Amino acid sequence: MQYKIATLALGTALALAATTGAHAGNATPNDIRIGGYFVHFDSSATDFTGPYTVPGLNASINNATTLYLGYVRTLSRHFAVELAFGWPPVTHAVARGPAAVGSVPYNGQKIASVRWLSPTALLEYNFFSPDAHWRPFVGVGVNYTYFYDRRITPAGEAVVGGPTSVSMPSSVGPAVTAGFTYRFNQRWHMVASYSVAQVNSRLTTDTAGVFRTSSVHFWPNAVVLSVGYSFGF
Amino acid sequence: MLKKFGGLTVAVLATLALAGCGGNSQTAAVSTSTQRGTLAVNPPLRVASLSASAFAADLDTTTSGQQLLQLAGTPACGVDFYYLKYWTVAPDGKPTEVSGALMVPTGAGSQCSGARPIVLYAHGTTTASTYNIADISDTGNAANSESAMIAAVFAAQGYIVVAPNYEGYDISNLGYHPYVDGAVNADDMIDALAAARAALPHTFTPGTTDSGQLYVTGYSEGGYVAMATVKAMQAAGDTVTASAPSSGPYALEAFGDAIFFGQVDIGSTVFAPFVTTSYQNAYGNVYQQTSDVYSSTYATGIDTLLPTATPLATLFQSGKLPEAALFDSTTPVTGNTQLDQLLAEPTSPPYTPEQAALFDAGFGSPGLVTNAFRAAYAADALTNPDQATMTLLNGGTLTASDVALAASPGIGLRQDFKVNDMRNGGWAPKEPMLMCGGDQDPTVFFMNTEIMAAEWSPLVSGGLVSVLDLNGTPGGPFAPLQSAFQSTYAAMVSAVGASTAIQSYHATEAPFCMVAARDFFAQVP
Repeated sequence: MQYKIATLALGTALALAATTGAHAGNATPNDIRIGGYFVHFDSSATDFTGPYTVPGLNASINNATTLYLGYVRTLSRHFAVELAFGWPPVTHAVARGPAAVGSVPYNGQKIASVRWLSPTALLEYNFFSPDAHWRPFVGVGVNYTYFYDRRITPAGEAVVGGPTSVSMPSSVGPAVTAGFTYRFNQRWHMVASYSVAQVNSRLTTDTAGVFRTSSVHFWPNAVVLSVGYSFGF
Repeated sequence: MLKKFGGLTVAVLATLALAGCGGNSQTAAVSTSTQRGTLAVNPPLRVASLSASAFAADLDTTTSGQQLLQLAGTPACGVDFYYLKYWTVAPDGKPTEVSGALMVPTGAGSQCSGARPIVLYAHGTTTASTYNIADISDTGNAANSESAMIAAVFAAQGYIVVAPNYEGYDISNLGYHPYVDGAVNADDMIDALAAARAALPHTFTPGTTDSGQLYVTGYSEGGYVAMATVKAMQAAGDTVTASAPSSGPYALEAFGDAIFFGQVDIGSTVFAPFVTTSYQNAYGNVYQQTSDVYSSTYATGIDTLLPTATPLATLFQSGKLPEAALFDSTTPVTGNTQLDQLLAEPTSPPYTPEQAALFDAGFGSPGLVTNAFRAAYAADALTNPDQATMTLLNGGTLTASDVALAASPGIGLRQDFKVNDMRNGGWAPKEPMLMCGGDQDPTVFFMNTEIMAAEWSPLVSGGLVSVLDLNGTPGGPFAPLQSAFQSTYAAMVSAVGASTAIQSYHATEAPFCMVAARDFFAQVP
């Protein structure tokens, strides 16, 4: 449902942008951007449930810093589309709960790691004139997050009781952004933005056929600092 | 537009490729083989890992745990509890998946790692279909106290413990339990052992290995299973270092005859459906329909009643089973004076008042078993007698020459008892065996132990087979345990009265017998 709403919103916005005219003779409607992606997770998760699972076992997600890569296509005087993604970072899940499960240390242990590819498509509205040095912008779009290299750490194996596979279905959810661009010249500019996306997944571990699950709300909020280069083709 | 974004798609894909897919971590392998003894999931799940101090602290939180700590001693090792899934064979010969526990000692103590002896343990009768002796973490599981007991007595003192849940329990989909079906039970034990040996190199402590010493023990039903396992392993040429079957119904035919002659034991209304369902499935000769054996009040569905997820108290309250009334208090009259005397409710004399009261509790209206079946069984037991039962009924002393099985029992159930009676097969233990029990046990009569001791009397006098009566005059190496059991039971009698305490006599013996078994094993390296 969230996916449908987000898609509808983006579609409507794109249609709106298209009606506001072409890119008005802009000779460099393409931007590529590179920078830092500072991701903070306001994560929350339900306690793990399943057989052989003591109550109160939870986890939080460690913050991640990675490379930001972006492509922006100017659609019109005020509208642009951004495709943003980070170099997939290794993100750790940290145990939250009792100090130990039996005699196995729990709270504070890095129990699992995952890498995620998380492209976000955003329709952005830029304020002021295209010639202005400073241009604030706001955007709305869709985030897709694909989790891979899902691994349990030795500390995690000790807790769950053996070699374990971890499944985490992909997430699709809305994303919003706000920021500003500072244009040095026609080619070069820098961008600072703050983005929030809804990323939910259901983490399921399989240890010797014993399945345990936790619903995880990642709520990544990211600060991006980047430099961009504009060009035409 | 699409064309322009095509370049970006390539870039995204390239990023994915560059990021590399190191792969996801993998869970345990599931065996495709269903050969008996195959470990189905390897490595097995470690359910819990408790250090010696954590285990001691856990036990210390309950009164029964404190008593166990006192009896078994302070844990010297931590214990890792693994949940084994493995393949064995059902009574029909088909592969069937079952489960059990592997307990591995851990810790820095010299007796807690390296090559360790294995204790193969068989558990007692339980009605709980969810029984899982590996699940130490769930205090609500029916197996929890027994799991803690063997962990405290054996694993925490440096023994690797292997314990099957049995067919019919936990993940088993057999639908019934092959109760006191000696060959099937032994196969399950042997297969659990094979699976555990396969699992050992894949645990969290792969340096803890099988020393090759194998000790077999069990309590109550498990005492029988342990003895059946020794018998089967010997027959297969496998060495059992020593064994300690305890309080088991070894002499099934003699025990069955005594019960049908009115010596009704505590728990018989549960044991009866277990036995008839097991043997009916294995041999098909117990009845044509359940009402051939069971009174109309209980006959419907009794063949699928046990084991069950329903608490036993609920089965009693809902009228699925009588709590104690195995037989009808209006006893059958056949016209045969001797038989009718044996069918009458026991009185004092010849029994002691306590015995008579105990046996009489097994009579009510309606009884679980029909008078017709009881009379037919008893008539057969009189016509084709079990020598041991007759010797005891006549007040005689059991010797090797008067404990023979019935030559040709005519009733199907008695034939099945004979097949599974541990006297059958002309065998005797080749390695040291301790049979522990208590001579006032109201649940599994001590006659079972006495009959086996008489059967093997040359081995008893030769020292290969030992008998420990916890209720006997303290003496010998187990004198402290005898004294401790007797004072524990005396305290129970003082606290709740004799008639209530007797209900717990059988269970009270268990940890004492297991500590005796451990002490015995330590003498047989």
